[in-house]
Amino acid sequence: MAARGSPLQDLITRFLPWIGAGVVLGILPALLPSYMQSIWTKFLIFAIFATSFDLIYGHAGLLSLGHAAFFGAGGYAVGVLMLHTGITSFWVGLPLGILVAVAIAVLFGFISLRVSGMYFLLVTFALAQLLYSVAWNWLWINSPGMQGIAGIPLPDLGIPSLEWNTIYFYYFVLIFFCICFYLVYRIMNSPFGYALRGIRESEIRMQALGYNTWLYKFIIFVVTGAFAGLAGVLFAYFNRLISPVYLGVGTSFLPMCMVIIGGSGTRIGPVIGAMVIIFVEYFSSLFTPERWPLILGGAFVVAIMYARGGIVIYLSRFWKQIGYRHGSIEG
Amino acid sequence: MEVFGRNLLNGISFGMVLFLAGSGLSVVMGVMGITNLAHGALYMLGGYVGWTVAIHYGMNFWLAVFLGGLVSGLIGLTIERIFLRHLYKQPNEQVLLTFGFVYIITNLCIWIWGGRPRMQFSSPALSGLLDIFGMPYPITRLVIIAMGVIVAIVLWWLQDRTRIGAIIRAGMDDKEMTMGLGINLERVSMLVFFLAAFVAGVAGVVGAQLMGVHSILGLDILLVALIVVIVGGMGSVQGALSGGISIGLIDTFGKSLFPQFAMFTMYLAMVVILLVKPSGILGRRV
Repeated sequence: MAARGSPLQDLITRFLPWIGAGVVLGILPALLPSYMQSIWTKFLIFAIFATSFDLIYGHAGLLSLGHAAFFGAGGYAVGVLMLHTGITSFWVGLPLGILVAVAIAVLFGFISLRVSGMYFLLVTFALAQLLYSVAWNWLWINSPGMQGIAGIPLPDLGIPSLEWNTIYFYYFVLIFFCICFYLVYRIMNSPFGYALRGIRESEIRMQALGYNTWLYKFIIFVVTGAFAGLAGVLFAYFNRLISPVYLGVGTSFLPMCMVIIGGSGTRIGPVIGAMVIIFVEYFSSLFTPERWPLILGGAFVVAIMYARGGIVIYLSRFWKQIGYRHGSIEG
Repeated sequence: MEVFGRNLLNGISFGMVLFLAGSGLSVVMGVMGITNLAHGALYMLGGYVGWTVAIHYGMNFWLAVFLGGLVSGLIGLTIERIFLRHLYKQPNEQVLLTFGFVYIITNLCIWIWGGRPRMQFSSPALSGLLDIFGMPYPITRLVIIAMGVIVAIVLWWLQDRTRIGAIIRAGMDDKEMTMGLGINLERVSMLVFFLAAFVAGVAGVVGAQLMGVHSILGLDILLVALIVVIVGGMGSVQGALSGGISIGLIDTFGKSLFPQFAMFTMYLAMVVILLVKPSGILGRRV
């Protein structure tokens, strides 16, 4: 049906959210004090992480409890590289981090995709905890005298005369965020993405149609591992410290919360969820840091019980209403 | 030989704690199709309550076991009635919900009892050593083995020899047909969930005799209990028992033979089982 509004109005309602997001992500942080800039950076890193989790949970319907394994592996790769060879170049750290995360995803994928349903969940959980205890016990991948690697410097880009500050690092992460966002968008709108959603809805039917569903699940498992590894690499540079905690189930819980609260299986749901979680965490750390898990768990339970579609549903409904009012979107 | 005997008994007693922790999880998974990730948190809650009753109020150890189980059971039942009931046939949401409760229960426990770990405790009557073929062995561990055996027999009897057990097994195989026969499966499910949480709480108090109670137990025990379920096979008491004892023995012997790989033997066992027989040692075919 043809739009009733003028072409200009049509363009505005269609593109205004994107322009708004561009302004908020691109310009707003530059005006904020530097501690807020680093909160924004953290939000973007976790938005990549949550997007990667949504790729496997929201689209392929595989609930993994060990997603942090890839995140932490990427971070550890950067940390170990710095610790044992002293290389801080970003152009070595990034591929290495992603490669390590992918290698672990391949290994874990072979083991965990042998089973399905609840068993898949248990196995991913156990494998991630295995990695956690490896990181805890294996002295070689820890800084002397501690559990974890401290003192990871900001990435060396090989550009002379570049002095890092928080806003530069923010924009640096923003570039990667945009790349990931675009790639995930492309994956989701490819035949591969449709096949994944088909597997989520009915795996048997997809098998009957001649799809090798195991291969599809395996590929998406590895692809999400790569994205989570990238997030982990950025996080290691951002946090300056990587420890076994970032491999464990506590870290796996965060993207899960973000995806559920934001809205699973949607493009911007995980991003919105990451924003909410990171900012609420920041504000709760000002008032009651020790009650944060309670707030997180409570919000999570409420979201699952009463707002299954996530925040995104309400946002898009709100936006559509504005569209109706101005006559540019047909019902 | 003495080292072997001691390891054997240690392994079995640890395995009994694992059985107690895993059996409820396994049965709830099998019967109701719910993966209750808050199971480890209920174990921890039982342990804390038991500690408070036994040490703080100086009461009987057996009362502590009962009250620890009761509190966990009631909390578990509340979660089931208020929340899980509305997520029927939505396995992913059920899992996520119970995972949220891990955080809530853990943080509430820290709020009430503080972050300080609690030491092992036991009834004075149960402390001391007993000579077994010239090998002195702590009575507490023998009592744990005995309790595990008793619980296993009671649960097995309940599962295989009673009407309720028959209903449970029937519901596992064909839910709709069972309900079509006029059986109130919901009430039975409630009972099963309460019983599972109750056993988790009891396991918490019993396990506290070996490991004490601390605030990260919720996830630790969950992980071990899940491994027990994977190795033993879900849905039956025998499966949980075989899984618990195998993991207990593997872990204890692994720790004494290859101390540098302390944690890994358990995972190795899990991976091997998954590669060889994904349904577990005594698993029902799914």
